[in-house]
Amino acid sequence: MKIRADIVRTYQTLHTWTGITTGLLLFIGFFAGALVMFTDTIDQWSTPPSKQFAQVSDGQHQVLLNHVLANEEKAINAVTLHYSDNHSPITWYEEGNGRGVNVNEQVWHAGFNEHGEINKELSQVNHLSGLLDYLHQTGGIFGEIGHHLFGGYILGIASFLYFIALISGLIFLLPTLVKSFFALRKDKSASRFWLDSHNLIGVSSLPFHIVIAFTVFVFAFHDFLYGGLFGVYGDKKLFPEPQKSEYQYNVKELPSLDDIKAKIQVYAPGYQIERIALSRLNTTSPSASVNITHPREMMRGPTTDFIFMHPYTLEINASSIKGGDQGIWVSIVSSLFALHFGSYGGTLGQWAYFVMGLLGALLFYTGNLLWIEKRRKQKQATQSKSSLVLAKLTVGIALGCICAISLAFAATKWLSLTSLNVNIAYLWLYYSTFFIVVIAAFIKGPSVTAIYTLKASAIMCLIVPLNSLLAVLLPNLGLWHADSFAEIMLEVMALPFAWFFYACANKVAKRAYKGDKNSVWYVSEKTANTTNEELVIHS
Amino acid sequence: MSQAHQKIQPQWWGKTAIGVFLGLALSYGIVALIVWFGPDSINTKLSDQRLLWKTQFNMWIVTPIWMLIVSFIYMFKTTKQAFIYLLSANLIIYTIFFGLRSLL
Repeated sequence: MKIRADIVRTYQTLHTWTGITTGLLLFIGFFAGALVMFTDTIDQWSTPPSKQFAQVSDGQHQVLLNHVLANEEKAINAVTLHYSDNHSPITWYEEGNGRGVNVNEQVWHAGFNEHGEINKELSQVNHLSGLLDYLHQTGGIFGEIGHHLFGGYILGIASFLYFIALISGLIFLLPTLVKSFFALRKDKSASRFWLDSHNLIGVSSLPFHIVIAFTVFVFAFHDFLYGGLFGVYGDKKLFPEPQKSEYQYNVKELPSLDDIKAKIQVYAPGYQIERIALSRLNTTSPSASVNITHPREMMRGPTTDFIFMHPYTLEINASSIKGGDQGIWVSIVSSLFALHFGSYGGTLGQWAYFVMGLLGALLFYTGNLLWIEKRRKQKQATQSKSSLVLAKLTVGIALGCICAISLAFAATKWLSLTSLNVNIAYLWLYYSTFFIVVIAAFIKGPSVTAIYTLKASAIMCLIVPLNSLLAVLLPNLGLWHADSFAEIMLEVMALPFAWFFYACANKVAKRAYKGDKNSVWYVSEKTANTTNEELVIHS
Repeated sequence: MSQAHQKIQPQWWGKTAIGVFLGLALSYGIVALIVWFGPDSINTKLSDQRLLWKTQFNMWIVTPIWMLIVSFIYMFKTTKQAFIYLLSANLIIYTIFFGLRSLL
């Protein structure tokens, strides 16, 4: 395909600059996002089993609900019934409300003990997946504006640039696309190899990336976009007004769970109820939100669909599935959510998104490496300052994030054994590790930092399954081992990560000590030795 | 006549500003036509549920249109050209929109 040379050049520049300014932020978003695909498993795995109650048979939920509503004041304002296998049957918040990341969130679990008595247990909500989700949504940039995460807006803007990067990358690639798409030229030069892998990943997952870029922007800026629609709608209203009721409801009049379930079954045949959240039961505006799942339908939420209904009149106000008079619009809008969350295609879909998320992170990483490689001065040892700075930032930020997350996974079970607030500990661990690696990249240089950080990450990943082994061998420690297929898979998956990080560390070492001298990655033997010694002394 | 053979001038900031502002205006103009004259227009009586989702749909489509305009704005040779074309497109779309609305 022929494209005018000046267009190709223009879009190449555009691609370079939109890519380089957003790549590292997007790296964090994608790496954490890939892991967030397994939120439920991560939470199950990191929550001590002693704090949970066994799931009960269907009719028992009503018994528990009646008991909790009669005895727990906080539950009247918000209580959730769970129907999935690995969850306590009923929970309510002592502190927090399950929205956003609240480090002090505490939740009551209730269920039957072995004697058939109703018991409750207060537990700190372990936000390991919350930490990942927070990194996914903000790239780790903290702060809030109003009720929104500041980092969310930054990532929203980054995703706009990322969209431009995708389109421009495609435009300037088109002329050579057919020729070099599947070529992975390993022998020619480092820059060729990075270019080929960058193009291969980018083109093969382009639809995924376009959807992600555009949905991220909408997630971040929907308030502003609705603001614009006000002008378009004129005197028409955007949304139906909530029906106001003067009547003060009382939990004594609450219909049974069977009534709610029967209503759901009629509205959404074939769907499984995962949980029912009842809130504001003693007010004029009570609500019930029901999360439902279907193995073969696209889902709007990250893991479920939902139905909002009135818990007393059982009237359905809104849902994310086809039903009622919602037209085709619900399907279109729901699909956009599903395409971002990867909540279609069941487990296979989750894995596909996990892989594409990781490949996305790799896309941004290779993009930065390419930039450095292209600007490499091949005939002199001193490289430009910008190349060196970018190399340091790339290693510091990307590997710092990886190492910090690996550490959180390795440490989580141990942290639960202490009296520390796990969620605050996560933040300390994450940010201190992250910044140490960034600072190290600037002081010790990119190669040495990369080698040590990758090796440290590999060790952290190895520790994840080793913790389970320790739990089995030394039960007195109080650690617990993975005890379901999903949890075992999580620990097994830590192994390929460990291997990959270790292999990368070796590659970097090879390039640093034995590679081309005229490169930002090169470390002479002399400096290498002193650096090693210094590191030994410091550690 | 030399204009036709002229190569693309970078003029990044000017083109970007036009893409962002006039492009956004144009996106809302296109969406306004869809909102008022497309299927399930807000001028008809919509049930609460249908309105709830149609409005969400309307909000969603602003962004992809806008992103595409900004992405292709750099095809214009100069900022001036980009400005003239986008301004004209806006005038046309909004004239159609207000013209049709006055007929309602």
